[in-house]
Amino acid sequence: MKTFNMIIAGVGGQGVITAGTLISEAAIKAGLNVVMSEIHGLSQRGGSVSVEVRIGDVYGPISPRRRVDLIMGFEPIETFRVLQSVNTDARVLMNKEKLTPISVSMKDEEYPDIQKMISMVSSSSKIYEIDAVDLGRKAGSFRSANVVMIGAALSLGILPVNEKNITDALIDRFTGKLLDINIGAMKLGMMEVSETDEKVQVSP
Amino acid sequence: MVKLNDLMLEGTQETILFLLSNEAIARGAVEAGVRVATTYPGTPSSEVGDTLSLIAKKFGMKFQFSVNEKVAIETAFAASISGLRSMVFMKHVGLNVASDPFMSIAYTGVRSGMVVMSADDPSMYSSQNEQDNRHYADLAHVPMIEPSNPQEAKDFLLQAFDLSEKYKLPVLFRTTTRVSHMRGLVKLGEIRKDLPEMGVFVKDVHEFVCLPSNSYTLKEKLMDKMHGLKGESDSSNMNRIEHHGNGKYGIITSGAAYNSVMDVITEYGLDADILKLGFTNPLPEKIIGGFITNHRDVIIVEELDPYLESKIRTIAQMHSIDARIYGKLDGYFSESHEFTPDTVAHSLSKIIGFAVQDAPKGKLDLPPRPPVLCPGCPHRAAYYAVKRAVKMMNKPDTIFASDIGCYSLGVYDPYEEADTMISMGSSIGMANGFAMSTNQKVIAFIGDSTFFHSGIPPLINAVHNKLNILVIVLDNGTTAMTGQQPNPGEKFNALGEESPSIAIEDIARSVGVKDVQVIDPYDLKESLKAITRALKEDSVSVIVSRRECAILRDRDMQKTGKILTYTVDQDKCGKCMNCVENFSCPAIFIENGEIRIDPNLCDGCGVCAEAYVCPFKAIEVRQ
Repeated sequence: MKTFNMIIAGVGGQGVITAGTLISEAAIKAGLNVVMSEIHGLSQRGGSVSVEVRIGDVYGPISPRRRVDLIMGFEPIETFRVLQSVNTDARVLMNKEKLTPISVSMKDEEYPDIQKMISMVSSSSKIYEIDAVDLGRKAGSFRSANVVMIGAALSLGILPVNEKNITDALIDRFTGKLLDINIGAMKLGMMEVSETDEKVQVSP
Repeated sequence: MVKLNDLMLEGTQETILFLLSNEAIARGAVEAGVRVATTYPGTPSSEVGDTLSLIAKKFGMKFQFSVNEKVAIETAFAASISGLRSMVFMKHVGLNVASDPFMSIAYTGVRSGMVVMSADDPSMYSSQNEQDNRHYADLAHVPMIEPSNPQEAKDFLLQAFDLSEKYKLPVLFRTTTRVSHMRGLVKLGEIRKDLPEMGVFVKDVHEFVCLPSNSYTLKEKLMDKMHGLKGESDSSNMNRIEHHGNGKYGIITSGAAYNSVMDVITEYGLDADILKLGFTNPLPEKIIGGFITNHRDVIIVEELDPYLESKIRTIAQMHSIDARIYGKLDGYFSESHEFTPDTVAHSLSKIIGFAVQDAPKGKLDLPPRPPVLCPGCPHRAAYYAVKRAVKMMNKPDTIFASDIGCYSLGVYDPYEEADTMISMGSSIGMANGFAMSTNQKVIAFIGDSTFFHSGIPPLINAVHNKLNILVIVLDNGTTAMTGQQPNPGEKFNALGEESPSIAIEDIARSVGVKDVQVIDPYDLKESLKAITRALKEDSVSVIVSRRECAILRDRDMQKTGKILTYTVDQDKCGKCMNCVENFSCPAIFIENGEIRIDPNLCDGCGVCAEAYVCPFKAIEVRQ
């Protein structure tokens, strides 16, 4: 039975855990089994954060590193931090928003060159770059960038859930204006990716 | 989680929720009819308390964030011997603090069910060590239960209470980070409503007074209880055998390691039977004996110490079972850090002989992103001021004894204001020793919650022994690192009820500290004045650096909609780099040679705009 393994990576405060929970809840609505890992580290914000979502016939929350289907990176450095240690054919959705680590700015240095990073991961991974923060702002709040990313993942076609499942998960979590912003963010994200990959089939 | 609490409240037997194991444990406590629950917050156990603080009251449960784990366990114990089911939970190192009463509670035994939960942290995601608390079950002689996932976390907890009540012993309920912080589907159960809300303590001097003469007899009774429990473990459904393929190999595993083993078996289609242990002290000796007799090639997969392995090898020896046992003692598995499907597959492949491809080793030179003090964090301003003051006073060999909390991050560049960090309260305790043994100035940094937890006795010790130390209490009005739980300095308790706020400066004065100052760390000028003054003292000084946690402040700002951010006027900026090199707020970065402030990260504290950070007055409120 095929399972779906996904890693969401970013920086504390970007809505990484919320994104993982929304996708998980959508999977439940699709009638699938799901487990998710959350690591609540030292400080509340500013450090590397990653969440794993595993859908299908799985036990633990940690994906085998050669079996990752999708990396959703909320920040370029954090995306590559995960990408370099997993299988080379993982699909990658990457938010372009650069957050400079203190370790860089303190040394009066600038953010590493993204194109150089891409060229150094010699892999068959397809990297889709998205300006999720800008799209989130268009939807009504930059904080909805995480839902823009989910929308993009939906259009990529790889998620074992559909638009209705995600919408229902959003309805469970948000109300009023916030719900409208997030549904708008999902739709803007969906329009960002036109290429469609094969859906990962997971049986209930 | 807007609706989760409602769902937890309304949930009946048929409701299925997507819960963290810690949330499932909170629900389990409700279903078990727990009347008194206590904790000191500590990751990875914190969410149990966060959840209970929202739902406890509605189920007639009294829940408190205790001042420390020792008080927490004593409180829960008194409830149990007064006839109420009680639960206490903490992180692994918290049980060290509570271990003194824990050992003797096992001797006296309990009356109503009492469960002691320890959340261990293999790989140390947020801890100072990865001690394996399963040894506490042996040390105290108490039964131990270990779940592997959220459903088991809830269901096993109910069994733990029944077991505790049947044998009149506290039960150790042990999780690890990957279990506590695993989210999965949980089917809720029925809530016990037949248990009393108030207890009555029936006296029995021989039972609860641990005088040597009483304890002498109690020890024998304790061992009798534990011998009686052996059969219980052999008949428990928490210990079970699962068959896969022809079962050529036998794998014995528990907790989070079970999940990794199962993911590997599924992925590689391995031919191995699994003995999954959930009731791990005492071990099910008959089941294990039968399992190793039937398999001959037995692999023990457990995280951290060879706890199961040592005991299983003993069982094999005692029953003269000729089995080949593989584990840590013969070097197949690591005794450090958590396991993953990849590491388990790697070790199993060496024993069973199948091909595994290891994960690629990253070769990019990416800048690290360790956790940092948040934008607007008052600790950053305090560290900045202290560093300057120490420089101004020309005391470069000043020792910084730090403590457990967000402010431990002061160890990093550029602050470098944590030379030691060992355990809760160790900042002041070690400052005592440095003051006795060196001529260096000593500054102890301790947070408000940690001060209440274990900072008061070493402060008294310093006054009593006439030592020269400066204690800086970084008082952000909350237990920030574990998720903003209230502490005795706040005006509210765990249930959101008003409670008296205890002022740290009052405690310091009352124990005889003459030099006590209270500062606002956002005001760098006044802070510098106070710190330099205190550094001249030759007795105990206390500075309370008081400013609300930036996360709490942000929550308020988002509610009121008042969002203020700062920006750099490039014409005025002298590019001295002091703000990036020495103040180092995550919102300040360099782009195209210019210093900029990320408006999405800026918290509007305004400390960087002060002349002590920006001498060019180039940082201004964004219009």
